[in-house]
Amino acid sequence: MKKRMLTGNQAISRGFYEAGGLIASSYPGSPAVGIIENTKTYKEVYSEFSTNEKVALEVAIGGSFNGARSMVAMKHVGLNISLDPLMTFTETPTNGGFLLVSGDDPGLSSSQNEQDNRNLGKFANIGILDPSDSGEAKDFTKKGLEISEKYSTPMMLRITSRLCHSRSVVNIKDRVEKNQSGMDLNSENYCMIPANSRDKQYAMKERIKELGKFAYDTDLNKLEIKKGTDTLVITSGLMYNNLKELDLDISIWKLGLVYPISKKKAKEVTNKYKKVIVLEEMTPFIENELKLMGIECMGKEYFSFTKELDIKDIEEGFYKAGLIKNKHIEDVEKVDTVKRYPVFCTGCPHRPTFDIIKKSKAKLIIGDIGCYSLAALPPFEKSNSIISMGASIGITKGLRKAMDSNDNDDPVVAVIGDGTFFHSGIPSFINLLHQKKDNENITILILDNRTTAMTGGQHNASSGNYNKNDDMKVEIKTLLESIGFKRVSEIDQYNYDETKKLFKQELNHQGLSVLILKGPCALKYKMNKPHFYVDPKICISCRTCVKTGCPPLKMIKYEGIDKLKSSIDSDICVGCSVCAQVCPVNAIKQSKKDKEDDSIDN
Amino acid sequence: MTTNIMLAGVGGQGLVIMTDIICEAAMKDGYDVKSNDVIGLSQRGGMVWGNVKIGKKVYSPNIKPKDGDILLGMEPLETYRWNTILKDSATIIMNSKRFDPIPVQQEKKDYPIKEIKRLKDKYNTTEINAFDEGVKLGKKQVANVILIGILARHLEKLDLTPINIDTWKEAISENVPKKAIDMNMKAFDLGYNYKN
Ligand SMILES: Cc1ncc(C[n+]2csc(CCOP(=O)(O)OP(=O)(O)O)c2C)c(N)n1
Ligand code: SF4
Ligand code: SF4
Ligand code: SF4
Repeated sequence: MKKRMLTGNQAISRGFYEAGGLIASSYPGSPAVGIIENTKTYKEVYSEFSTNEKVALEVAIGGSFNGARSMVAMKHVGLNISLDPLMTFTETPTNGGFLLVSGDDPGLSSSQNEQDNRNLGKFANIGILDPSDSGEAKDFTKKGLEISEKYSTPMMLRITSRLCHSRSVVNIKDRVEKNQSGMDLNSENYCMIPANSRDKQYAMKERIKELGKFAYDTDLNKLEIKKGTDTLVITSGLMYNNLKELDLDISIWKLGLVYPISKKKAKEVTNKYKKVIVLEEMTPFIENELKLMGIECMGKEYFSFTKELDIKDIEEGFYKAGLIKNKHIEDVEKVDTVKRYPVFCTGCPHRPTFDIIKKSKAKLIIGDIGCYSLAALPPFEKSNSIISMGASIGITKGLRKAMDSNDNDDPVVAVIGDGTFFHSGIPSFINLLHQKKDNENITILILDNRTTAMTGGQHNASSGNYNKNDDMKVEIKTLLESIGFKRVSEIDQYNYDETKKLFKQELNHQGLSVLILKGPCALKYKMNKPHFYVDPKICISCRTCVKTGCPPLKMIKYEGIDKLKSSIDSDICVGCSVCAQVCPVNAIKQSKKDKEDDSIDN
Repeated sequence: MTTNIMLAGVGGQGLVIMTDIICEAAMKDGYDVKSNDVIGLSQRGGMVWGNVKIGKKVYSPNIKPKDGDILLGMEPLETYRWNTILKDSATIIMNSKRFDPIPVQQEKKDYPIKEIKRLKDKYNTTEINAFDEGVKLGKKQVANVILIGILARHLEKLDLTPINIDTWKEAISENVPKKAIDMNMKAFDLGYNYKN
């Protein structure tokens, strides 16, 4: 048998491939972005990053309708916007296996909230699988598709950031093709008008009951009995492996299928134990299920409702529960030293933009989600709100209306990226034109860096204008003008002074204006121009350049000069020129030397 | 026995590919392996960390506090930040090339030079400016493979979970561009034979 080291994300792709999967869709978002990046490497699978998660889910529904095994993968919050189709699709009898992969993020390593999507799975009346390592991630993907077809139900594969990005050894098998049955033309089953969907409420109830029967003796769940102990720990996912590290005197019921849980089985298993402890991250989901069945158990008394639960947290919880007398894992304090926040990359196009905003009179900046969210952190600290993708534009409108009714005419600036614009921004742009008044001062900056950068540089609807390999060529300016926007301008913000002037002019304009900033993502488009350097004899130590926060810049001591002067680490400068443009005395100049060829990229 | 390797660095230094190479090599030599990667965002410049656990049977990919055997520090401050995960008298392999975080750049905080120096008193420390060595070999990107060479040597010395040199080279070759294989082999050898 072939073995490979795979991340959880890669393993899910592999499982989908082996299961004969045909339609795979997604919208990029950590931690689940790697799944579709991987299915794209299998030519038998049609894969796409759709415009947003709702569209992605709909694409997978279409595949499943025709009997094709289909999978949609997304970040947890993506399910919020795709919940609408899901809640009705789930009423229909699933044809081709349908797997919804939800990448949850306990501990918020890369998210704006921490939501436990097992609750949404239950809400949608679907079964939920929770794998504990890459091997299971692959197996459960295949199992999920089988169960989906057998019980005519969509299935959820719930994974967490840690699982997505951890690697373990996986056994590789061959692909088995699946035939498509074609679309079932019985419209009663698929046209969810009230007359048809009333009955479906009963059908869904029945379906979960049947799944519960399946759950009774499925090998997705495993019971590890330790003789002589009166304690049972019920757990699932990665928590199982963290628990195993402690080697405790307990029995373990590891659930692979976390919803539905068979009541009969749960009673049989737990009856034999005096103490039942549930170990799970985030909400007390399994715990509540058991309690609804009348099973006495404890869980969140001992384990946090938020954050990841690491081995030490688990030991701590068992100690609190009185199950262990001594703690073996040492208490070591985290090293208290200088923090290292994420920053815009060297040469990032967002840097001149926020430097200009920071130096302007604009006080209210309504931010959005993308790399530019980092503007909320030092050194810029120029974002007054960040809520969810695309929210900046709607919020700005409401804010403007409220401020105007309060006779506050301070300018309001909204910031949104091209990725976010296409994901969910367009409806709110259209909405701006509704009941618009001429003198409402709103300035919108669209940061068109030609990619969805924060999640790793995926394409979006305008990338085809810049890349041969991308196909969609929507022009943001043309689109807005055709909707009815009158004042839309484009500029390359690496032309610092011109951009500054234009921004100032638009900020002073009493009305709605849109500025599209065209500088490309320095990381994705590999900016690599001859580096800049500081002439310490000219530098007056004003630090204007250093305040842009570009990583190669720093004040240093030069020999023979008392005052600290600016400097640039030539190994990392990519030559964007912004520091040189903000320098008041022209102390920063570009080197002539060509850069080493960076086409070999380790 | 498992060997617990912690990796720490700065976003953009290529930590993911490092863990990948270490995992592949260990698996090829028949060990059970689990690893963690950065679970953050794509920007360059934030703190990143990962780890690899190698042994006969590995459960969690996570390393318990004070249970690390080797810390591969790709940057001094990040090495210092993560040192308490190590067992007493564990091994540190540190790239001495500094990347100043914003508070240091903005002159609000000092870079903890003294504290970093003191790591040597506590741990078996190998220090190298892998970045400069990489540039000398022809490419700054091979810095990481130099560090892997040093790691390979230490794994042999610790004698917990040694990995064959040929296996290392195979894993590296599979993970770097074809035209860069020669340079990477040189980088590995340089690391493997490096003496403090
Ligand atoms: C509903 C939802 N889906 C996905 C994400 C993950 N995500 C974070 S930022 C981002 C896109 C940013 O793209 P863009 O607006 O172009 O900004 P850039 O990062 O390129 O600066 C995405 C998809 C999210 N936060 N919310
Ligand atoms: S990934 Fe691109 S847009 Fe994001 S911070 Fe880096 S250069 Fe800027
Ligand atoms: S030119 Fe200046 S601002 Fe641009 S990348 Fe180099 S150091 Fe940074
Ligand atoms: S902006 Fe110019 S004068 Fe001011 S510190 Fe930088 S290099 Fe020196």
